[in-house]
Amino acid sequence: MLLATLFESGISIKHYMLLATVLFAIGVFGVLYRKNAIILLMCIELMLNAVNLLLVAFSTYFGKADGQLFVFFIMVVAAAEATVGLSILVLLYRNARTTDIRLFNKLKN
Amino acid sequence: MDALIIVFASGLISLFAAFSKKPILVLSSALGGLLLGIVSIIYQITGGQSFVKLGYDGLEFTQASLYYSLTILVFAFLLIGIGYSRFKESTEHIGEYIGLLLFSATGAVIMTAFTDMFMFFLGLEILSIPIYVMAGSNKHNALSNEASLKYFLMGSFATGVLLFGVAWIYGATGSFKVSEIAQAIFQMNIDNTMLFIGILFILAAFLFKVGAAPFHFWSPDVYDGAPHVVTGFMASVVKIAAFSAFLKLFHEAFAMAHDFWVPALSGLMILTLFVGNLSAIRQTKLKRLLAYSSITHVGYTLLVLISGSMTSVFDMWFYMTGYGFSVIALIAIGISVNDEEDKIEALKGLGKRNPLLAIAGVIAVLSLAGIPLTAGFFGKYLVLADAWKEHSTLVIIALVNSAISIYYYLKVFGAIVSKSETEQAPIKLSLLTTLIIVITIIGMIGLPFIIPFL
Repeated sequence: MLLATLFESGISIKHYMLLATVLFAIGVFGVLYRKNAIILLMCIELMLNAVNLLLVAFSTYFGKADGQLFVFFIMVVAAAEATVGLSILVLLYRNARTTDIRLFNKLKN
Repeated sequence: MDALIIVFASGLISLFAAFSKKPILVLSSALGGLLLGIVSIIYQITGGQSFVKLGYDGLEFTQASLYYSLTILVFAFLLIGIGYSRFKESTEHIGEYIGLLLFSATGAVIMTAFTDMFMFFLGLEILSIPIYVMAGSNKHNALSNEASLKYFLMGSFATGVLLFGVAWIYGATGSFKVSEIAQAIFQMNIDNTMLFIGILFILAAFLFKVGAAPFHFWSPDVYDGAPHVVTGFMASVVKIAAFSAFLKLFHEAFAMAHDFWVPALSGLMILTLFVGNLSAIRQTKLKRLLAYSSITHVGYTLLVLISGSMTSVFDMWFYMTGYGFSVIALIAIGISVNDEEDKIEALKGLGKRNPLLAIAGVIAVLSLAGIPLTAGFFGKYLVLADAWKEHSTLVIIALVNSAISIYYYLKVFGAIVSKSETEQAPIKLSLLTTLIIVITIIGMIGLPFIIPFL
């Protein structure tokens, strides 16, 4: 029912904004509440993808290409970040045999 | 522009020089490249033209960005120099260590000179990603690994938040260029809600990156766990690059939305000062103390962003440069004393073990506390005097905090000048370390003398 009304009025820029915000919020809550470091990495990727969606939507809305260009930059940097993040995780796993972030608390005073 | 290319090239050369298994070759190519970069920046400051011309206007080296870049390259030079004694212990990885620090310095130079969000974002990432790796460069130390993970998670989370802000700003103004964003906000024909959401997210990411309260919780752990050189790099180069970039964003792009972000930043500044100071009092480890003291100094520097006077770019440059020299001097002491647990008490009897280190340490602590005739005092004076007219309440709160902070700086001071109960071997310094400590002393005392020439 809801979908039908949505499509009848057409999908406007507002729907994209809402979807991107919801995706971003899921990513933020994932980072704040999940305990597995690999899932944290995936949630950060989700946040970046929400931004990509928002930028592409705005770019189409304005009829300008620079928003989509920015998306390519974000994708490249996200790949670099994932590479570094996964290698840090491999290093941690070798030394501690776990990826649970609750166990990495030796630095507290 | 020349300096950017030179530093990047010298980073590549150091990576490949490591194949020769001669650490001194890696070091000399890195320091040589940085010196050449410093010379080319000084040449441009004194009126010379850049040799490389780009058809792309995303990077623009104004006089202000040249000064910031100069400081960044000098700090990178000093830190790589004092870190060499540690780096050369592993001949296998010295190329990566020095190369990554140089690449990070390139990112910092980009952050001082961007004119659009593309370059801002790329500069920020080129600055941060090598530091995530370097924080964990002490591979078999569990604390270093943990610091690396924490810095990586916090840093990439902040990047996500920043990009979300950039996307909303793009949605509100239809542009990524700093000048066009300012133009669009000035004409007031845009959706204010979207603009404010964007500014709020960028502000949050900025506070994450520089480690201001309430987003400071990662910084003591990361500073504590990371190797000394990387801690020094985070406290000096990363901070000055982040502040120069956000000064540009908030004073040029979002200047017209002033009424929106100044009250928010004022409240956070007060919180940052008190949180940093009151937590620093209890610290017994040198690097943890440095972390909380850096939170406090971020608080004073936020005052520059808030006051927004004509000279704010210079004030910020002067304050961060003076602060950076003091931090590097203390890091050099930390590396030379080489205490297993990095305790402040290990500094006892330093005057007898090595007088030069003790002199540098005393001046550094006085400069951090803002005692007259050091760079720290003049920096604080410039910042507070400029903010006095419009934000006198904030200045008074900053002064109160300055008084509190003297307590824990004097603890370090007392440790350095007091005698130790047990007899300890004197510390021998290499020629390079001696040279660098002398440069930091000259920096901490001599910096105020350049004010009349600018």
